[in-house]
Amino acid sequence: MNVKSKIWSVALLLVVAATVTVTYTPAQNKGSLITVLNPEVANRMPDRLPLSPRLGSLEGKTLFLVDIGWGGPDAAPSVYAEIKAWLAENMPSVKTEYRRIRGGYDAGDPELWKEIKAKGNAAFVGISG
Amino acid sequence: MAGAASNIVKYATGYDYLYLNGMPIRYVAFPFPVAGQPQSVHHQYIFEGTDRVSGKPMMKAILDALTQPLTEKEKYKGPAPEAKPQPRLLTPDTEENLQRLFKDKDWTDYNPIILPTEARVAKMLAATSHKPGEVVKTVNWPGGNRPLTVERVAICAVMAGAKPEYFPAILALAKSVPFGNSTSSMSNMILVNGPVRNQIGMNSGTNAMGPHNEANSVIGRVFTLMSKTVGGLHSGVTTWSSLGNTVQYNNLCIAENEESLPAGWKPFHVQMGFKPADSVVTVGVGWTNISSVGEVQRSYPANMLMRDYMRSLAMSSATIVMDPTVAALLKDVQGFKTKESLSQWFANNVEKTVASFLGNGVGSGMAMSFATQGLEPYATWVKLPPETLIKPFSGNDKGIQIVVVGGKIQTTWFVTDYRLGRGELVDEWR
Repeated sequence: MNVKSKIWSVALLLVVAATVTVTYTPAQNKGSLITVLNPEVANRMPDRLPLSPRLGSLEGKTLFLVDIGWGGPDAAPSVYAEIKAWLAENMPSVKTEYRRIRGGYDAGDPELWKEIKAKGNAAFVGISG
Repeated sequence: MAGAASNIVKYATGYDYLYLNGMPIRYVAFPFPVAGQPQSVHHQYIFEGTDRVSGKPMMKAILDALTQPLTEKEKYKGPAPEAKPQPRLLTPDTEENLQRLFKDKDWTDYNPIILPTEARVAKMLAATSHKPGEVVKTVNWPGGNRPLTVERVAICAVMAGAKPEYFPAILALAKSVPFGNSTSSMSNMILVNGPVRNQIGMNSGTNAMGPHNEANSVIGRVFTLMSKTVGGLHSGVTTWSSLGNTVQYNNLCIAENEESLPAGWKPFHVQMGFKPADSVVTVGVGWTNISSVGEVQRSYPANMLMRDYMRSLAMSSATIVMDPTVAALLKDVQGFKTKESLSQWFANNVEKTVASFLGNGVGSGMAMSFATQGLEPYATWVKLPPETLIKPFSGNDKGIQIVVVGGKIQTTWFVTDYRLGRGELVDEWR
């Protein structure tokens, strides 16, 4: 190859190199992609139980008003007194029974559940918030 | 069916919660608040009000909930839908995008984190003999079933900026995940005892309760990150604290200043039955933190002022955090030769009215739950006239803990209602 050809070859090489540099930017110049572990966990939910069948009508039935104690001793009893008053005016055949669960609101009261099952037709459980 | 106030009924009726507990309960929602309202307001809620869930008149909503036929969803019995699997590795992305992702997913405390690469997590895992897949605890609050494995703890430890030498203490701490969760401003306290304190450079002296020590800061932060990720606590979904609590950034993570205890005053973990050479992490839950403000005055000794402040605590347990100088005064000048004798004195001398004791929903809820079971003294207290003075800590001196922390710079202290639980041995996680 003569000198002129060599110069043209080098120049061409330089042009190609410059073009590659401009069009291809190595990853570290744009921000490398990082792989990290996932801190989240799949949540397995419990098997589902159906609601108990509905009554069709509350007439002549016994409704247990269950106080879970949230909000203190004045919250649910006060609301339940008004529910009782409304039922007395509008559906006097409905009987109501007030019960306060034994223990905290996050614990069950199996004896009360047995009583409701034996003597009641429905239960209103509250009041939370 | 159930009733709730409108503030949390979205949580109660939301898809996840319905099935977290296995049964789609029918709810009606009253306006919030219910507690604290006069009878006339409750009358309006029932006679004139509207159910916040269905929009129907309240009593119609209640009657419909009890009588209308079940939907197909409500009749379903069987396995819950398969949990959406979570990949072990996230899609590779840039540092900036991953930092944004972690915040968008609410996996952080909104301060920058250290991204948990495999290399960083592996380095953390090398600090324990326990296998990555070992389940430290199955978290099922607020519902569901989520395994907190050693690897998951390591991920959070890396995110928080922990050094590998902190990891055994962090694994012990992981047994208490998640942090306190309530519509009230519940929070936690993390207390570390034993040789591990000095081994990993924890601070039990000057500024121990402040942002001035790497181990205190980071270990407390890991507890928050574990609680939000595997713990599943996300605002507006599974956690509904009305004001929140800023303590949850660090969970009051401190080490007891065992070296500065007066003679005869045992370290907390020794009081709980551990050996002095055991390294123990203990987590407490509570709400209240009252500062002494200024230094002790000879005219009104520290135990008297502490007693006064303890009247403000809602429950029947307390943790008093005091500088070593205060502990020395209480022992040498006031004659409390042991922590136990001071706890007993508080139990005998803190008084408040029945009305005050029952004056908040959490305290009265606790008292009533004991009273309905016939447990004394609660069964008697709830029947007393409101202005009767009672001793809320009587019989529960063991529920009043004394912890010595601080740098002997000032005779100051805190009265808190943190109820310290069962300690976990750090050495089991090395």
